[in-house]
Amino acid sequence: MMSVLLVTPFAPYRDGIATYAAQELRCLRADSHAVDVLSPLPSAAHHHLPLGGVRGAALLVKRAIRYERVIIQFGPELLFGRCRSAADRVGVWTSLAVLARASKLDLRLHEVEYGPLAQNPAERRAARLALRWADRVTVHTEPERNRLSELLGSVTDRIEVVEHGHNFVPAVTCTGSEAKTELGLPADEFVFLSIGFLQHHKGFDRAVEAFTVAGLPRAKLHVVGSGRVDHPDIGRYVSSLERICARTPAVELHNRYVSDDQFDLWLTAADAVVLPYREIWSSGVVERARLFEKPIIASDLEQLRHQLALGGGGVWFTAADVGEIAVAMEKVWSSAGYARSPDADSGAAPPAVDRRRPMHPLWDIDDEAPDRAAIQVQIAARARAAQDNEPQTLVASPAAGAPSDGERPSAGLRALGPLVIPEPVSARPGVTPVKQTVRRLTGWQLDPMNQRLAALQQATVDAVIEMETRLERLSEALDEPAT
Amino acid sequence: MTGRRRSSNAFGSEDPVIRTGTVALVPPRFGDGVIGGAEAVLADVARGLAARDVPIEILTTCARDHFTWANEFPAGSTRTADGVVVRRFPTVLDASSVDRDRIGNRILAGETITIQDQQRWVNASLRCPGLWHHVFDHGHRYRALVFAPYMFWTTYAVSQIHSRRSVIMPCLHDEPPARLDIFRTMFEGAGALWFLTEPEQELALRLCNPPRRQEVVGAPVAVPASYDADGFRARFGLTEPFVYYAGRREWGKGWQDLLAAFAQFMLDRTVDGGGLRLVTSGVGVVEPPVGCEQAVIDLGLLSDSDRDGAMAAAAAYVQPSALESFSLTVLEAMAAGTPVVANGDGAVVSRHLERSGAGLVYHGLQELVECLHFVADRPDAARALAADGRRYVLANYEPSLVFDRMIESLDRWFPPDRAPAGQTAEQVGVG
Repeated sequence: MMSVLLVTPFAPYRDGIATYAAQELRCLRADSHAVDVLSPLPSAAHHHLPLGGVRGAALLVKRAIRYERVIIQFGPELLFGRCRSAADRVGVWTSLAVLARASKLDLRLHEVEYGPLAQNPAERRAARLALRWADRVTVHTEPERNRLSELLGSVTDRIEVVEHGHNFVPAVTCTGSEAKTELGLPADEFVFLSIGFLQHHKGFDRAVEAFTVAGLPRAKLHVVGSGRVDHPDIGRYVSSLERICARTPAVELHNRYVSDDQFDLWLTAADAVVLPYREIWSSGVVERARLFEKPIIASDLEQLRHQLALGGGGVWFTAADVGEIAVAMEKVWSSAGYARSPDADSGAAPPAVDRRRPMHPLWDIDDEAPDRAAIQVQIAARARAAQDNEPQTLVASPAAGAPSDGERPSAGLRALGPLVIPEPVSARPGVTPVKQTVRRLTGWQLDPMNQRLAALQQATVDAVIEMETRLERLSEALDEPAT
Repeated sequence: MTGRRRSSNAFGSEDPVIRTGTVALVPPRFGDGVIGGAEAVLADVARGLAARDVPIEILTTCARDHFTWANEFPAGSTRTADGVVVRRFPTVLDASSVDRDRIGNRILAGETITIQDQQRWVNASLRCPGLWHHVFDHGHRYRALVFAPYMFWTTYAVSQIHSRRSVIMPCLHDEPPARLDIFRTMFEGAGALWFLTEPEQELALRLCNPPRRQEVVGAPVAVPASYDADGFRARFGLTEPFVYYAGRREWGKGWQDLLAAFAQFMLDRTVDGGGLRLVTSGVGVVEPPVGCEQAVIDLGLLSDSDRDGAMAAAAAYVQPSALESFSLTVLEAMAAGTPVVANGDGAVVSRHLERSGAGLVYHGLQELVECLHFVADRPDAARALAADGRRYVLANYEPSLVFDRMIESLDRWFPPDRAPAGQTAEQVGVG
């Protein structure tokens, strides 16, 4: 039995690493270790310290040396979130090195920011020391170990690859049909599930698109999760996902945070899990889906591929694009005994809504040097395709002679983009930290104003459009001959 | 502790059922001197279910006072006279009060609050990590965990650990915090919800998409067989008619409104000299307005029998709070045959009064003043209004009815393990 300090974001905060840490806590306690938890904010942890900068790291060293073993769930936000300069980051790494010297230190590397490491030799030196002196350093995938090794050189042998889910245990034990009943899902419908925090890099919109392309009868895609934090980018993504899901048949977005129990209940109910990530270090959802032996359809990312292969058995597919995801969806669906009706295939009785629309091409964009005009063309093409597929809206169609969309009084209002607070970044050396400081200091005032303004703008647009519609209807009525 | 009762409904037989799964009740505070509606309800539920041989544990903090959250009770396990195990864990209140106050004020102002700030706010008040870790480590051993009320960390943080076996009794009011996303998701993810009244359930349905396991169970109202109104008056030297308010004297409960209306009433009555006294019991600062010092009488904390006496002796019971999810005191007054004067902005109490006819509601201070005049001018008419109050309480909130509803819903949602007849829970090795 050892005294252990687990340093991590922690419940009840919504955080993937917090969930991971809770699993590890359970395992450590099962092994009879006396574990205290330390978090960066007041939480259910036993202790909290203002981590994220040099001062926090120094306080951590002071606190942690009382324990026989220290485990840090390493993430950039936890340890570097308050750093203002490169020197700060070096200070944090140095503190970790000191802690590694003074105590048995386990570093669980969930994510490392390669950029600053690549730019600053001093940070690389400090990081190398911390990793070399740590008792144990783990990552979840081979590609991550390789990248760290490329950057830090001689620490390769210090970094272990461990399965992301080696500590995971199921939070529910019911059957799939019981879970479906509890969630109010039909027992005979194939359930595709995309679950996790809703953000662009998770790519759940691609799951919707692939599901539409696949056009599978007696199947439904459930997208379950919430934004982890309120950030304009995440808000915009969630709004757009809401719109996409609302207009797509047999797709339902459950925009809400789910507890561990609920998370596993959804996984139990699922017939297949779809994870079309755009980028990821390693995926906890993959591991949880494996716990329940669910087929997994995931993006063909190097880390994911490695993670899936590392886990051994189970049914999984990697897909390079939306089309391949759709193909994989059909495979798992048909292998569960589902089939298209012969009528639909022969064309004798086409479905009321043809969901098998042509697949969108993937975005053809060079991330390093995007061509704006080309993007505009793609946007217009996608919009036309989406419009062709959209159900009729309730807004009355314009009467003959009615002004075109661009001539409507609301056109100017609609053309106004949302007010976006500029990102606090600058190409000029040293300006970015200043901007970030100003942003942090003023955020509490600006963010609510910005949100209120956006709501006001939307409400105004909606109201004007409603007025226009009513006026047009009135105008039509007046133009009609009296009966 | 062995749970044993005869059941013919939940299991379709008359075989003795040994309830081997302990039900944990998780109030933020529990014990002597604790004032709070939800806390009182859970204390009654603990006694009532334990008396019906449902194994019960109370998991709570060491705090008695919800202003200081000081650890006044010793940490550790004890057993009450009713056989209920009480496990207490120390509170921690070391977060920045700036977060609590700054974000809290913005919440009360109805502003949009980011998820991060909502989480900071809920973690900036009392926390009880020991309780969290106990449930994290041992929560799977409980058949169900019942949490109340919704807004405390003990409910927010702890109910989400084993959410599918969490029953939240939200004690919900129509107030800005109830609209926060953190609580919406907590309600939606809970294993089940128990509501005290239909208006509370309707409010929940407006605020979120609650789980399908939900039921209006009510709360037990202990109805004395008799009241000693004269003895109460004699003990406290009260010779003049009075209106009564029991509970927390604080802004959120509408206490200042009641004082303001009472002061106006007193001014109005200087002409004819007749009037009422305002008698109050409970906790919080009374601060009567200038000129009313003699007419506002604070009795402090009363024993249950004295409070029953006060309810029966009062010309009317006043409920100035619009944020009631049940209002035990209103129902106690009704049970005592005393008319109620209540804030009509509160849906729950308004519904009680609509259904029972046992009192008046007011909208705005001037209407409250007029209600006081009515009680002073026409005490008999006021008393007559209350005629059906006792029947209403007995028909809906008589404790055995409420406990039966609770047990029935728990058995339906979280079936207890059954042991062969003749074996105790200890013999089957669980509990």
